[in-house]
Amino acid sequence: MTKNMRRDFNNRDELVNYLREEFPNAIQPEHISHTIGGRKEAEKRLRKIHPREYTTSRNYLNGSVSHLSAYIRHGVMNLAEVRDYILNISKNIHEAEKFINELGWRDYWQRIYAQIGDEIWKDREEYKTGYTAKDYNNNLPEDILDAKTGLRCIDEFTNALYKTGYLHNHARMYLASYIVHHRKIKWQTGARWFLQHLLDGDPASNNLSWQWVASTFSHKPYFFNRENLEKFTEGIYCRECPLYKKCPFEGTYEELEARLFPNRLSNREGHR
Amino acid sequence: MNTIVWIHGDNLSPYNPALLAQKDAPTIFVWDETLLQEYQLSLKRIVFIYECLLELPITIRKGDVAQEIITFTQEHDANRILTTQSPSPRFKQICATILREMPKGSTLEIYKERPFIEIDEQLDLKRFSRYWEKVKYKALHPK
Repeated sequence: MTKNMRRDFNNRDELVNYLREEFPNAIQPEHISHTIGGRKEAEKRLRKIHPREYTTSRNYLNGSVSHLSAYIRHGVMNLAEVRDYILNISKNIHEAEKFINELGWRDYWQRIYAQIGDEIWKDREEYKTGYTAKDYNNNLPEDILDAKTGLRCIDEFTNALYKTGYLHNHARMYLASYIVHHRKIKWQTGARWFLQHLLDGDPASNNLSWQWVASTFSHKPYFFNRENLEKFTEGIYCRECPLYKKCPFEGTYEELEARLFPNRLSNREGHR
Repeated sequence: MNTIVWIHGDNLSPYNPALLAQKDAPTIFVWDETLLQEYQLSLKRIVFIYECLLELPITIRKGDVAQEIITFTQEHDANRILTTQSPSPRFKQICATILREMPKGSTLEIYKERPFIEIDEQLDLKRFSRYWEKVKYKALHPK
């Protein structure tokens, strides 16, 4: 029988308890994010944006990013509104450009989604890793799911994903790259896992970004070395990592490429 | 006959154009149980969305989306449904089911929110750089 769901709650705990009963199949681990939904909260966050600081610091994990993505994903605030606000508060176009360019990514992903629909789950192109889709596994290993890989950065990214439902863009790329290229897991498996947890989880932005990392929607696979991660995380994980300077991310990009994609390298040499 | 508004998870703004088009109309959001089963969302995602819903003047239900919307129209003697556009293939399926199941003469009107880029031509979406080269000026200089 059709029944209206409740709208009256005295506090957030009451709401959470109600939803826990109404949605018993919601997956574990069960954390509730500090990020509160709704337009009022979105407007507060919008007013805190500093386009100039964003341009210079956005690649750093503690950089001046907007944390608006979940609100944009659910249309609580749309791209045009955010863009107009950024243009209004910026001294000039140059100052606003990087932020608006990033909004453009979402518009771009959405346009592709409108064209291809459920094909968003299929490889857009071949992997450019020297491997084929068959070489990648379907399941996420338990050490990744349990945040017990022993790699401080990776485990903390996973914990943040579970607890907050948010990851900085760089953390998403590092985690995705680790899963696909170091652990040889299909990007679809990782993408599905992210969609379960990210408050801004959207099949278009999420899946196409995973495909970009995997190389099925880009010219080459995305991978990183420890030096890059240490720089953009300002060393917070590396300093405490028992595997410091012995981790799988150690080395130059040439060395990592040779380790991760040996067939790709030999293919290249074969063309010389 | 009356009008109802259907709000879905891609447009939870109080300035949703379908909501603004008929401010006094009964409005509904339906948790898609099939989709929840398929995606197995975590509780924190559900809480976030629910908090967005609580700021809107709507009835919240869960179940089979198309069926719940049709039931809602019957409860309000409505044959006109207003909603907003979504690129999701699931949205298209639900719209098709509603139109098939509703009595003859019923309408489903899909509103569009203001686009990020106002452009009529087909864009090359092979790579972001090509898209951005084409739209950058309009993105930075909206009307």
